Amino acid sequence: MPRSPTLVQSALCAVSLAVAWSGIASPAAAAGGAFADWTFHAMARLEWARGVSGDQKLEVVAEPSFAWRPKGARWWLHGVGRLRVDGFDRMEPGQPPPVERSSLSRQWQLGDRADLELRELVFEAAVGPAYLRLGKQQIVWGEADGLKLLDVVNPQDFREFILPDFDESRIPLWAIQFEVPVGPIVAEFVWLPDPTFHDLPEPGSPFAFTSERLVGRPPAGLPVRIDPPDRPRRLLRDSDAGVRISGQFGGWDLGVAYFFHTDDTPVPAARLEAGPAGPLLRVSPRYERDHLVGATASNAFGDLVVRSEIAWRSDRFLPTGDPAAREGVTRTPELGYVLGLDWFGFTDSLVSLQVFQSWLLEDGPGRFRDTLDTNLTLLVRREFWNERLRVEAIWIHNLNDGDGVLRPKVRYELRDDWTVWAGIDVFYGRSRGLFGQFDHSDRLLVGLEWGI
Amino acid sequence: MDRLAGRAIALAALLTLWGPAAAAQQLPTGREIAQRINARDEGVTARRHVTMELVDRSGYTRTRETVLFRRYAKGADGSAGEKWIALFYLGPPTIKDTAFLTHDYLESKRQDEQWLYLPALRRTRRIGLRDRGKSFLGTDLSFDDVRNETKVTISDYTWKTLGTSEVDGHPCLTVEATPVDAETARLLGYSRVEFAVDREIWIVRKAEYEDLGGRHLKTSHQRDIRQIDGIWTPHAVTVTNHRTGHSTRFAYSEIAYGVSLPDDLFTERALRRGPPE
Repeated sequence: MPRSPTLVQSALCAVSLAVAWSGIASPAAAAGGAFADWTFHAMARLEWARGVSGDQKLEVVAEPSFAWRPKGARWWLHGVGRLRVDGFDRMEPGQPPPVERSSLSRQWQLGDRADLELRELVFEAAVGPAYLRLGKQQIVWGEADGLKLLDVVNPQDFREFILPDFDESRIPLWAIQFEVPVGPIVAEFVWLPDPTFHDLPEPGSPFAFTSERLVGRPPAGLPVRIDPPDRPRRLLRDSDAGVRISGQFGGWDLGVAYFFHTDDTPVPAARLEAGPAGPLLRVSPRYERDHLVGATASNAFGDLVVRSEIAWRSDRFLPTGDPAAREGVTRTPELGYVLGLDWFGFTDSLVSLQVFQSWLLEDGPGRFRDTLDTNLTLLVRREFWNERLRVEAIWIHNLNDGDGVLRPKVRYELRDDWTVWAGIDVFYGRSRGLFGQFDHSDRLLVGLEWGI
Repeated sequence: MDRLAGRAIALAALLTLWGPAAAAQQLPTGREIAQRINARDEGVTARRHVTMELVDRSGYTRTRETVLFRRYAKGADGSAGEKWIALFYLGPPTIKDTAFLTHDYLESKRQDEQWLYLPALRRTRRIGLRDRGKSFLGTDLSFDDVRNETKVTISDYTWKTLGTSEVDGHPCLTVEATPVDAETARLLGYSRVEFAVDREIWIVRKAEYEDLGGRHLKTSHQRDIRQIDGIWTPHAVTVTNHRTGHSTRFAYSEIAYGVSLPDDLFTERALRRGPPE
């Protein structure tokens, strides 16, 4: 039985959308009078995706937004809502229970094919030299593109795996962010008392996880029962908190970060049980705490920009086929890093190469991934006609499993407020791989965006 | 009396004959003109609303609304200079919230630094631009043009006075600027520039650019030059690329000099926050 958002969440969402739409619908009012301190915008997007096995989605997304900034004030409020309607209802069939989201961050499901969500509602204020952001928001750390290492403050909606812009797929959380400049550096403190985790697609949807790297490999012939995840419930002890210190030294943009959080990926803890028809494997997902320590560095050398990121995590829980392993998972610290090179040497072009490596620091027999896992990404982008036309291709390849995804795309600015695009997402490789598991979900994508 | 009249006529005839040559000799050198351009007060800080109209060959126009903040700052080593520019896109909605920041080290060999905030990434990324002649965010200006605003980089060129001209009814000095070497020409994207400089207020009214092959590349025309807070300020600039047929019209409004602009505004974090009120 799907659970609804709370009354508070619904009210906030409804008020934000109503405020934004009223301003957009009444530009004359926004120009003066009671709305003189308000600004309103909206984006509407239509996107159709056709997979090899049929239509994936025909989606209309409307995102009204507002900002309220009284004249002379050093604070302001802004909010973004999102109404999403899907003509096919294949990405998330039915109304899957929002078990990964807290009651304050849930979408409001309007039948099987539509949902409404408060994407942002943020109060921002300059407090002397410091800066406060309070409310539902996205907090982005890290330097990497396409794949994530340090960008783990907000969880992600994986309904389309990692294909949408992270701005769309990142799940905003209720949080406090406070930035304090101290001499040449800035200290940023974050606290997130919102127990919302990665939104994973339901079995049967085009991008449901099936790779054994993520979900393990149950013994053949054994029935599996999956429980709802065991969610942390303590407001303070289960909340996430961190600090990031950044600054510029000798031309380098440098940062260090520490984040104590609940890992957004559930641990697929499994055990054998006696069922009514014989033994069964009962999977009881739960969330575990994790310490993350990381650093970033970037600099430009002529036309070349070097970006790097490193992260150590104390507790990664991974599925294993080792029968001796407790609950079918192993625990290990992990060291990950990314080195990126962006080349701006060609006119109106960007060539970006990244190497991601993840190194599991403790042995674990029977794990479904190698101790050292390497991904390469390549982005080639060229702008034409004074940035009216953009042609790009993104390629992500995993060296260990030999799988990956190739994503050529063309984007054209039809008018100031209209943009159209077309692209294809082609997965390849073995089904055990992160990308190969979606080999059956290749798709053609066509979209149109309108801004007012 | 007749003798006096005769001497006066003779003197007038001499002046008529020798006047142009004498006047040419009195024209300032190209380098002096460039120095006069750069000596003109531009204010330590500036804020202005910039409307950019991007017009393609067929006449179709795209419009960007932006607000630009500029500040000169002492270098960390106490040298004259760093120039900071922050540009925030206010519209259209499809590119709203994009922001650009540059730190230019005017008298240093240190490479200028640029950051671009992309709302789709919610991240500020460093960009590398050794070639200052590259197009500035889809306009017909180059990054070097934006960096210089109404000034010039004297050390990039060899300067030579060509003579006089008139632009929009204003007497101008025509000066030729040739990149000092092939590498500088490659970085700028120009083999030659001809500036028409207003000889009264020392501002470039028109500039003609030639590409590396010596072909006419683009024309920049500054119009509606008026004083704001005592500083001569163009309110309209049209840049036409003769090779592509594309042009960009810049209209400046809400111009203010001497405004208080904190250091914090010119940081990559500020790009994410958006422009101050």
